[in-house]
Amino acid sequence: MDGITLQHYLFLAALLFSLGVFGVLVRRNALVVFMCVELMLNASNLTFLAFARDSGMDVGHLPALFVIAVAAAEAAIGLAIIIAVFRSRGTVNVDDIRTMRL
Amino acid sequence: MLALMFEFLSAQYPWNPQAIADLLWVIVALPLAGAFICGVLGRFMGRANVNFIACATVAGSFLLSAIALYAVGSQSTQFISPASGAPVRWALWLDLGRWFSAGEFSAHYGFLVDRLTAALLMVITGIGFLIHLYSTEYMEHDEGYWRFFAYLNLFVAMMLTLVMADNLVLLFVGWEGVGLCSYLLIGFWYQDTEKAFAGRKAMITNRIGDCAFLIGMFLLVLLLGATEKMGRETALGRANFTDISRARAWVTSLHDQGPLNIEVLREWAIRMPAETAKNRQGMTLGTTITTEGPLQGKTFGHVLTAALLLFLVGAAGKSAQIPLYVWLPDAMAGPTPVSALIHAATMVTAGVYLFCRLSFLLVLSPTAMAWVAMIGALTAVWAALIAFAQNDIKKILAYSTVSQLGFMFMGVGVGFFWAAALHLITHACFKACLFLGAGSVMHGNADETDLTRLGGLRKEMRWTWVTFLIATLTITGIFPLSAGFFSKDAILHGAHISEIEGFPRITHLVYGLGLFGALCTAFYMTRLYVLTFEGKRAADARIPHAHESGFRMVSVLVVLAFLSIAGMVWGIPDLVPGPGGRNVALMEGYLAPAMQLADRFAASYDTVTHTESSPLPGFAVAWALALIGGTVAWLVYRSWLPARAGKPLPQPIAVFWRWARAKFYVDEVYEALIIRPFTVLSKGLFKVVDAGLIDKVAVGGTALTLRKVGSWLRYTQTGNAQNYATVMAVGLLVSIGVVLTWVLR
Repeated sequence: MDGITLQHYLFLAALLFSLGVFGVLVRRNALVVFMCVELMLNASNLTFLAFARDSGMDVGHLPALFVIAVAAAEAAIGLAIIIAVFRSRGTVNVDDIRTMRL
Repeated sequence: MLALMFEFLSAQYPWNPQAIADLLWVIVALPLAGAFICGVLGRFMGRANVNFIACATVAGSFLLSAIALYAVGSQSTQFISPASGAPVRWALWLDLGRWFSAGEFSAHYGFLVDRLTAALLMVITGIGFLIHLYSTEYMEHDEGYWRFFAYLNLFVAMMLTLVMADNLVLLFVGWEGVGLCSYLLIGFWYQDTEKAFAGRKAMITNRIGDCAFLIGMFLLVLLLGATEKMGRETALGRANFTDISRARAWVTSLHDQGPLNIEVLREWAIRMPAETAKNRQGMTLGTTITTEGPLQGKTFGHVLTAALLLFLVGAAGKSAQIPLYVWLPDAMAGPTPVSALIHAATMVTAGVYLFCRLSFLLVLSPTAMAWVAMIGALTAVWAALIAFAQNDIKKILAYSTVSQLGFMFMGVGVGFFWAAALHLITHACFKACLFLGAGSVMHGNADETDLTRLGGLRKEMRWTWVTFLIATLTITGIFPLSAGFFSKDAILHGAHISEIEGFPRITHLVYGLGLFGALCTAFYMTRLYVLTFEGKRAADARIPHAHESGFRMVSVLVVLAFLSIAGMVWGIPDLVPGPGGRNVALMEGYLAPAMQLADRFAASYDTVTHTESSPLPGFAVAWALALIGGTVAWLVYRSWLPARAGKPLPQPIAVFWRWARAKFYVDEVYEALIIRPFTVLSKGLFKVVDAGLIDKVAVGGTALTLRKVGSWLRYTQTGNAQNYATVMAVGLLVSIGVVLTWVLR
């Protein structure tokens, strides 16, 4: 355990975050995009907890708990939206969903 | 409201001057309130209520003015001049506080009623009331009656502001206000393009004068500022301010009341003697201004003359003198009561009033006096010549007004301010009577104004005939026991006996022109009278029989005709003992306190000198001329012309006739020399600046740029959420990069 320092946690978090961003930007399946967002959220959670542990301040756990709660809510709504979109359009491919254009 | 006022006033009797001064604002406020009520609610109130409000407010003002007149008749009525700390007698002053200040300049909202103002207040509210009364009948078939009375009331309020203002800034408010009402009332029947155009012509011509008036005021402000500065900074200037407490009062009031306050100007004039003054140390009008400023290097006297000449242009605009008289004849497009009230009795005399108000400045500048007198004399003759050949009854009266105003300017120019003021008042009476008589003629003849299609009205319109005849005899002076004879001949006498310093011959010229003008007046007025009332009714008249006007119109005519005779009491020479131990006319004695300073300057600086001589020989000459003019006109139009019917006129007369009929082509010359180039210039500017620069480049260019940029930016809006997310991610990355490099630098 002693070999694992703050840097390791942060590198892992950064890697996870980048993976998430990459997935959000390039994957076409809305469900996968959604999962990538979760990945980014958890990467930030990891950062929070790493710093909390490093500095010994337990208050750093609080944002992580908030993020988990938000992620849960987001999952619930996001999945509901995806299901609704699939029902109405028969697809969850984000390239085919361009309602943001007038 | 009137009952309340009565109660309040009777509770105050005997009136304390301060209590009356405190009420001065009501004189203006009453017609203003009437204008508001008639203008805003008039449409819903019905004709009778509007008539009542309009007349009652002016009657209320008349009542208060009469009380003010009574007050300034007593020596105990006085106020302490803010500019000198000395009492000013025979005058009321109400200062309602500061109106505005800008930098070192300030202006107050204050009313000053001295004897000159009081006399004019009686004319404005008295004749104003009569004309309101007359209008209730004259306008009885017009749908816009509420609009008419609102404008008329507003006019009265503005005219009262003009004469009561205690400073030139407030006077200018009234000056512009009456101009506005004049415009609104000339173009009262605005559906008629020609009438709307006449209104615009009046407005624009007046703007030219007003512009000069404004510049004149600015010059006065600079002049007083330079005086104060030189008094502080130079040894020469300090000599004018050795009386410490009085000088301090002047400097304080110069900043508090503002340089354009009448009392401040008066005190300035006292402090700045003319070069000719004896035993003077310190600055005089001939001193060159040495302190820094726009006036540096000019003398006080030159700047004053420039300011007065600019005021002359302003007054020429408002009072229809050469070269700005052209709007007044066209102003006859308005309803006839308007012509009587605004374009004969009150507004057009504002220029004369201005010079009477500033008489103490005018006498300091012989150049300005000579110009005023000359402009007046030329206008008096010029307008009279044009009036010879006009056929429109109102146009003739309009040119007659221009001509009579010229007489008043003559009086002002030769330093006979009381005579000018008297002629102003008597002219207001007889010209209002003539105009309202003409209105009565039109009312009874289906709005016919062409002299050649009238005639023989003396039997059908008895009262109109009698009153018109009296007013004609008054204005021509054919009947010497009348107001017009005495006031006009007081002016002519003044021109005869005066001499303006540095212009030795000019008063003789003015006198000669004045006599010729009087002769012309007798001719064209008799012609007007003969063609309208004598002879047989014209064959091509609009309606076969004229009908006499109703009680309200006729009674007003009778009152005015009475005043045109009775006003002579004021002009009979040598009637009462006056200042300096000599006998003077009633009006001269009455106005003496108001004109005291001007008389003092004239006497001690010799800018204008009057030789004492009996006016009686001059009166005889004037009467003879009036008789000649009247007789010639009578013979020409009663026997000579009817006998020559069908034959052409002799060549010289025909040529003169054609030129006079065409108003000597002045309008055409103005059109060619000023209006046409101006229109071309404006059109060019419109095409280049308005249509080109502003419309195409500025407005159109902005829209075009935005549309182009927008259409390019449209391509970035793909609607694909991932594209947006990419942009956001890249942006975030760049931001982080920037922040990091900035932190780590």
